[in-house]
Amino acid sequence: MDNKKPKILIIEDENNIAEALRLRLEANGYDVITSSDGVEGLHKAHTERPDLIILDIRLPKMDGYKVCRMIKFDEEYSSTTVIILTARIQPSDIAMGKEVGADEYMTKPYRSEELLAKIKQYLAAEN
Amino acid sequence: MNDNNEDLSTQDFKQRYLWGIYLRYAAVGLGLLLYGYSFLLGEKAGATLLLVVAITLYNLLAHYIYRSKQKYRMGEIVVLIGFFQVLDILAAAVLVGMTGGLESPYWFLYPVLMIISGFGTFSRYSYLVLFIVAFTVIFYLGLLGIAFKQLIPVFGSSLVITPQVLLKTIFNRAIFTIVVLLLFAATVYYFSKLINQNRELLSKKNRELLRTLEELKDIGRMKDDFITNVSHELRTPLAIVRENLSLIEDRVVGEINEKQRYLLAGARGNLDNLGEILNSILDSSKITSGALEIRRRKTDINLLVAKAVDLLKDKAQRKAIEIETILPEKSSVYVDPDQLTRVFVNLIDNAIKYTQKSGRITISLELSENEIRGSICDNGIGIDEQEIPLLFERFVRAKKAEEMGVKGVGLGLSICKGIIELHRGKIWVESKPNQGTKFIFVLPRVEVDG
Repeated sequence: MDNKKPKILIIEDENNIAEALRLRLEANGYDVITSSDGVEGLHKAHTERPDLIILDIRLPKMDGYKVCRMIKFDEEYSSTTVIILTARIQPSDIAMGKEVGADEYMTKPYRSEELLAKIKQYLAAEN
Repeated sequence: MNDNNEDLSTQDFKQRYLWGIYLRYAAVGLGLLLYGYSFLLGEKAGATLLLVVAITLYNLLAHYIYRSKQKYRMGEIVVLIGFFQVLDILAAAVLVGMTGGLESPYWFLYPVLMIISGFGTFSRYSYLVLFIVAFTVIFYLGLLGIAFKQLIPVFGSSLVITPQVLLKTIFNRAIFTIVVLLLFAATVYYFSKLINQNRELLSKKNRELLRTLEELKDIGRMKDDFITNVSHELRTPLAIVRENLSLIEDRVVGEINEKQRYLLAGARGNLDNLGEILNSILDSSKITSGALEIRRRKTDINLLVAKAVDLLKDKAQRKAIEIETILPEKSSVYVDPDQLTRVFVNLIDNAIKYTQKSGRITISLELSENEIRGSICDNGIGIDEQEIPLLFERFVRAKKAEEMGVKGVGLGLSICKGIIELHRGKIWVESKPNQGTKFIFVLPRVEVDG
C-alpha cells in the first residue's frame, strides 16, 4: 500500500477548479481522476475505488448530496472519505452535507493548504 | 394569498353561524321554561313542546355540521346560515299559528329574527331582511284569510260578533302588525347597511394590508434567494482565480522569479480581502433581511475567545501588540459558537487596526448567574464623541480610519450588533480620543439548545 499513490476522485463541473485541484493534488503526490457530472462521478466512485472523493454540490445530472448519499449509505463503499467542496455557505446546506454523511464540508474559495491538510489527515486515518 | 383573505371572512361567518346556534339553544331553554310554566298552570301545551323538540333537533344538526368539518368555503357557510334561518322563520310561523294566529303574542319573534339577520348572521347580505319581511307579510295575509273564513277562532274579540266587526277586528290587527313589521324592517335594514358599509371598508383595507404583507414577504424571500445566488456566483470565480494564482505562486507549474512571486502574493492577499468583504456584505444583508438565525449550543466561551485570538495572533504580532485575556473559570454557556466567534474576531481585529505599534489589548469575560459580560479594550487612537452614535450603522467608518488608510467597508460592527441582538443582548462602546476604546457587550444567559 505504501508505494502506491493514494487515489483521489474529483467530481466537479467547473473545469477550472477541477484542473487547479488536479495540478495541486498531483504535485503533492496523489493519483487524480476527475468527473464533471454526478452520474459519471458515482460510476467512477464505484469502478475506480478512490481513497477519497472531493465533491461539488451543484452538479449536472445528479446533485452532490445524492452522490454522497449513494456512496455513504452503501456498505460496500461507505468507507470512502467524502469531502464536500462547494460555494454554498448557508447553514442549511452545511447541515444537509452532514446529513448525507460527508466527512468534511469545505467552502469555496478554499485555501489549498487547509484542503491538503484535511486530505492528509483523512488518508492517514484510513490506513 | 387570496386564500388567507377568504379565510378571514369565512372565519368571521363561521363565528356568526356558531352564535346563531347558541342563540337557538337559548331560545330552546326559554321555550322549555315557558312550557314548564304552562304545565304548572295545567294548560295543554304539548304542541309547543313538540316545536321546542323540533328546534332542538335541527339545532343539534346545525351544531354537528359545524363540528364535522374543519374548513368551510364562504359559499357553504352562507348556505348553511341561510338554511337554518329559514327553519327558524318556519318555526316562528308555526308557533305564531299555534298560539292564535293573528292574536298570537309571539309576533315579536319576527322583529327579533330581523335584528339577528340584519346585524348578525347575514351582515353584508342585509337585503335578506326584506325576505323575512316578505315572508311575514305573506304569512300574515294567509292568517288573515284563515281568520276571515273563521277556520280558527280569534281571541280577544267581543262576544257578540257580527261579520263586519270580525272583519274590522282582523283587518285592524293585521294591518297594525304588518305596518309595525315593515317599519321595523326598514329601520333594521338601514342600520345594518350603515354598519356593514364600515365593515366592508375595514375588511377591504384589511385585505389590502394582508396583500402588502405577503408582497413584502415575497420580496424578502427573493432577497434571500438573490443573496444565496450572488454568493454562489461570486465564490466560484473567486475560488478559481485564487487557486490558479496560488498554483503559480507555489511553483506547482514551474519556476518563477522572486518579483513574480511577490506580485502574485500581493494579488492573492487582495483576493482574500475581497473574499472577506464579500462575506461581510452577505452577512450584513442576511442580518438586515432577518435571514440569519442563531443556533444556540452548549459552548465553552473561553475556547471561542482563544480561537479568535489565535486567528489574529500573527496580525497582532506584526504590530507588536500584546493581547491579554481575563477569562472566568467556568465558561459553559448556550450561544451560537460560530456567530459569537465572529463577534470576537471583528472586535479584536478592529482593536488591532486602531492601536499603534506596541499597544495593548485586553479581552475580558465575566459570567454571572444570568449574564455574560464581555469587553474588548485597547489603548489605541480612540473614537471622536460625535462619531459614536453612528458607529454601529452599516457602511459607517470613523474619520480617523479613513485618514489612517485602514481598510474596511464599515460592516464589521453592524454585524457584531446584529449577532449580539439576535442573542437578545446589547453592545455599546466607551471611548476617549487618543486614550483607547472599550467595546462592551452583555448577553442574557439562556439554558436552551436551538
